[in-house]
Amino acid sequence: MAVKVLLIDDEAEFLENLSERMRVRGMEVSTAQTSDNAVSAVEEGEYDAIVLDLQMPGMNGIEMLKVIKARKPDMQVILLTGQATLEAGIEAMKLGAMDFMEKPADIDALTEKIKKAQAKKMLLVEEKTEKKVKDILKKKGW
Amino acid sequence: MSSNSSGPREGLRFFGKVSASVSHEIKNVFAVINEAAGLIGDFTLMAEKGMPIDPEKLQRTAKSIQGQIQRGDTIIKNMNALAHSTDEDAREVELTEILTLIVALSTRMADMKQMSLEVGDCEPTALHVSPFDVMQLLHGMIAATLDTLSQGDVLTIAVKPETDGVVFTLSVPGQTLELTNDSAVANMAQQMNATVANNKDNGFLELRLGRTV
Repeated sequence: MAVKVLLIDDEAEFLENLSERMRVRGMEVSTAQTSDNAVSAVEEGEYDAIVLDLQMPGMNGIEMLKVIKARKPDMQVILLTGQATLEAGIEAMKLGAMDFMEKPADIDALTEKIKKAQAKKMLLVEEKTEKKVKDILKKKGW
Repeated sequence: MSSNSSGPREGLRFFGKVSASVSHEIKNVFAVINEAAGLIGDFTLMAEKGMPIDPEKLQRTAKSIQGQIQRGDTIIKNMNALAHSTDEDAREVELTEILTLIVALSTRMADMKQMSLEVGDCEPTALHVSPFDVMQLLHGMIAATLDTLSQGDVLTIAVKPETDGVVFTLSVPGQTLELTNDSAVANMAQQMNATVANNKDNGFLELRLGRTV
């Protein structure tokens, strides 16, 4: 099953080149260049992973992460940054980011993290479904 | 580094802010080049597997690399100009060049607030002054003014000579700009015998420097 990824970054050429490389690797890629477009994409689309730039004009990556997690708690988010400080990494992980990478990123390492994100999301969805089924069975006294 | 005796720390802060912004921009340049170069590598691997290379895509990717190198070169040139502005305490400088440089160095700051900076219509304006001090003061005024503006606003800065000195004007179409209460800017202006005021006729902020700074 093809991994569905949403790439969020304000650099148009970075988005174009990275998304092309991801498509070559069999991923289905959507892109968003502004925070408004990103929020719309998150609300309207279904993705296995979101790759998000930490420094965006307007709403920064940490604020965007909060918005994503509020709307889609199971969404796995990988943050990309030009300057990976320990403090920023810790804050991002506390807010629920799956991982944190420094630009320029190695495509193979990024692809591996995206696949892990897909697996983690599938597991979360399975666990939720299992719980729902158990709750229904319990209600019926089975 | 400068003749600003009251705030060497402020001078360092200014230099640090600009350096951080420049380093972040350069990282973005590297990130684009990294993906473009990787994409060319991917095209080659695909060609080895018998898939045709799209010449238009290849050319677009190569142009992307060249464009980013130009962009990076400009960023470094501007940073180099800022660094060399500390070579002498004071000298005869053409302020339109200083203004163009500080606007270029402050553009990313404006972009992150989703605003724009422009150099307005200027007149050739020479002054014997520390170029670093002028840039520090202008950067502080730009930052403080941007904090009072809204997303989408375009801040235009211009400079022209006056009888007893020079005047920098900051303006946004249709708006009356507020005087900054930024203490660092106020201290810097005081050290340079500069005055900042609102022009009630046009809503501009005006920064005046005398001939002897």
